[in-house]
Amino acid sequence: MSLILVGLSHRTAPIELREQVDFAARDMGGAVRALAGKRTTDECVLLSTCNRVEIYAAAGDPGAARAGIGRFVAEYHGVPVERIDPHLYLQRDAAATQHLFRVASGLESLVVGEPQILGQVKAAYLTAAGEQTTGPLLNRLFHSALATGKRVRAETGIGEGAVSVSYAALSLARKIFGDLSGLSALVLGAGEMAKLTATHLQSQHVRELVVSSRTMRSAAALAGRVGGWAIPWEHMGRAIEGADIVVTATGATEPILTRDRVQAVMRTRRNRPLFIIDIAVPRDVEPGTGELEEVFLYNIDDLQSIVSESFARRTHQIEQADAIVAAEVERFVIWLRSRHAVPTVVALRQHFEDVRRAELKRLEPKLAGLGPEARARVDDVTRLIVEKLLHAPTEHLKSAPDQRTIDDWADALTRLFSLSAGELDEKERG
Amino acid sequence: MNLLPLALYTAAAAAYSVHFMRGDRRSGRFATAGLAAAALAHTFVIGMRTMELGYAPIAGTTAAVSAFVWLLALAYLYIEITTDERTMGAFIVPLMAALQLIPALTPDAAEARSAVLRTPLFTLHVASMLFAYAAFALACVIGITYVLLFKEIKAKDVGFFYRRLPPLARLDVMNERAVRIGWLFLTAGVAIGVFWALRVRDTYSDPRVQAMTIVDPKILVALVCWAVYSFQLVARRFGLSGRQAALLSAVGFAIVLLNFVPVGYFLTRSHNF
Repeated sequence: MSLILVGLSHRTAPIELREQVDFAARDMGGAVRALAGKRTTDECVLLSTCNRVEIYAAAGDPGAARAGIGRFVAEYHGVPVERIDPHLYLQRDAAATQHLFRVASGLESLVVGEPQILGQVKAAYLTAAGEQTTGPLLNRLFHSALATGKRVRAETGIGEGAVSVSYAALSLARKIFGDLSGLSALVLGAGEMAKLTATHLQSQHVRELVVSSRTMRSAAALAGRVGGWAIPWEHMGRAIEGADIVVTATGATEPILTRDRVQAVMRTRRNRPLFIIDIAVPRDVEPGTGELEEVFLYNIDDLQSIVSESFARRTHQIEQADAIVAAEVERFVIWLRSRHAVPTVVALRQHFEDVRRAELKRLEPKLAGLGPEARARVDDVTRLIVEKLLHAPTEHLKSAPDQRTIDDWADALTRLFSLSAGELDEKERG
Repeated sequence: MNLLPLALYTAAAAAYSVHFMRGDRRSGRFATAGLAAAALAHTFVIGMRTMELGYAPIAGTTAAVSAFVWLLALAYLYIEITTDERTMGAFIVPLMAALQLIPALTPDAAEARSAVLRTPLFTLHVASMLFAYAAFALACVIGITYVLLFKEIKAKDVGFFYRRLPPLARLDVMNERAVRIGWLFLTAGVAIGVFWALRVRDTYSDPRVQAMTIVDPKILVALVCWAVYSFQLVARRFGLSGRQAALLSAVGFAIVLLNFVPVGYFLTRSHNF
């Protein structure tokens, strides 16, 4: 069984397509359950963020699994499969592991080192685990990925500074307005991204922080948390008139700010600059809005342009993070390979155990004169001998340098000890 | 004698360009030192000329250009030192070097100044106008950098200017301030000029004084400048965007330059001293 990754991201697919295949806006649990129901994979985890849709799976036939996953994504979102297919990438085993570890560490993010992604990877895994679509392979993979992400953040400082998408947007705001402390900011939405951006705005000591959401209660909760104030969704238009920065991060499927609406607002604002940060996927703001005089509109993809700036500063931290990821990937890959040796190891142990029991049974008459304590001692000693004899070959087999060596050695052991197919099958099932 | 300041302005312009590209403090300090040396040499040249003639050589197009460059250098150095913002130098110092070519390559006209041009009011008029033009030159350069940065941010292709220029809002404030100061001096300069012309018109029969009317190209274009900058200041309160104001200050200064050089040399009948 192989570990595979099938997905598309900001590196391979345009935002329009990512919006169409975004699972995050829908029922993630239902989606991963539906995928598992297709039975093209043995285990699966679905990771869907603004920048990527990736499916990690354990499958016997990677080629068939890739095709099945492609079909599933297309059918689920009602998009022709031939539209998605060219943007999909497939990675296996070590490459897939490395990719996930890099994703969890923020190394594959639009703004390198941004911290939300670790939480998103965790949420994706917990959702899949909750739906019981994970097994030993993906459980171990995601635990290792989360540990790697935490280690990278703790040891490299990559998460400090302008690291998240929202923080990067704020550095852009500073380039437009200079000091942010005299400004009024409006946050539309009360989800995770909205919370994060509101927190960043608060840390810049903006003069006024207004939150609006379709549900007044969640807007009020967020406003309370960041020292701002909430307004009803219907009053949003008037709030935009007074705002300098508008952050849209709602889960709406249609644009909430159209070009015409913003144009009307700009007239009453007398062309005072307006910076709109649309961090929602699907987008909350009609793309043509950015063409209006004194309106600066940036969506998730546009923030790519300032990534290079933070990227340059981070070169050293990225090198450190790469080294950590490489070490963790190597550890995981050794484990991954050792999984192929497991049936042989188990069969070998079973064979030795069978021999030991058979010999003890054969000696039963001779041992009859011993007391219970002495008999237990004999049992322990023989078990220990078997353990010690098997320890070195087991470890060597598990840590063999490549798949072929593992297969060769496993084959040799099977022949040398006449390990039966029954023993192998029995333990593989177990 | 004007060649030494020209050489120093050119060297300083090159140093500011290098500083703009590299962004390191060392080349920046070198550029500032170069400009300070150029301004000092220029002060020396103007001072020597003043001692030679017995009055400040600011009237007459060639002398006025030289005085304008000198005022601009001093004004820019003041702004740079007080704001620690050197990026504008890459735009404004080449302008100084280019304009300094005129006095450097034109032979000194050592004519005695006529009595009509020796009144304090006349000196005040010329000094005000030159200071206004220097402020407009700064506004123009700030405006151009505003538009460059604005375009980068708008096009979502932030990089070259994004890393080098101060925020748009700061450029906008600097632009407005420069225009406002320039407008005040221009208004004062024009008012003093009108007052002076009316006073001397009956006393002196100099044909230049008699030609000082609104139809004279130099005066007419100066009034057009005043109208453009007045419009900019008023329109800002009624929704003129930062970008439009920046473009307008570039247009305004283009008119100033037009008035300064071609009109000043070839067309005017009143200001050909």
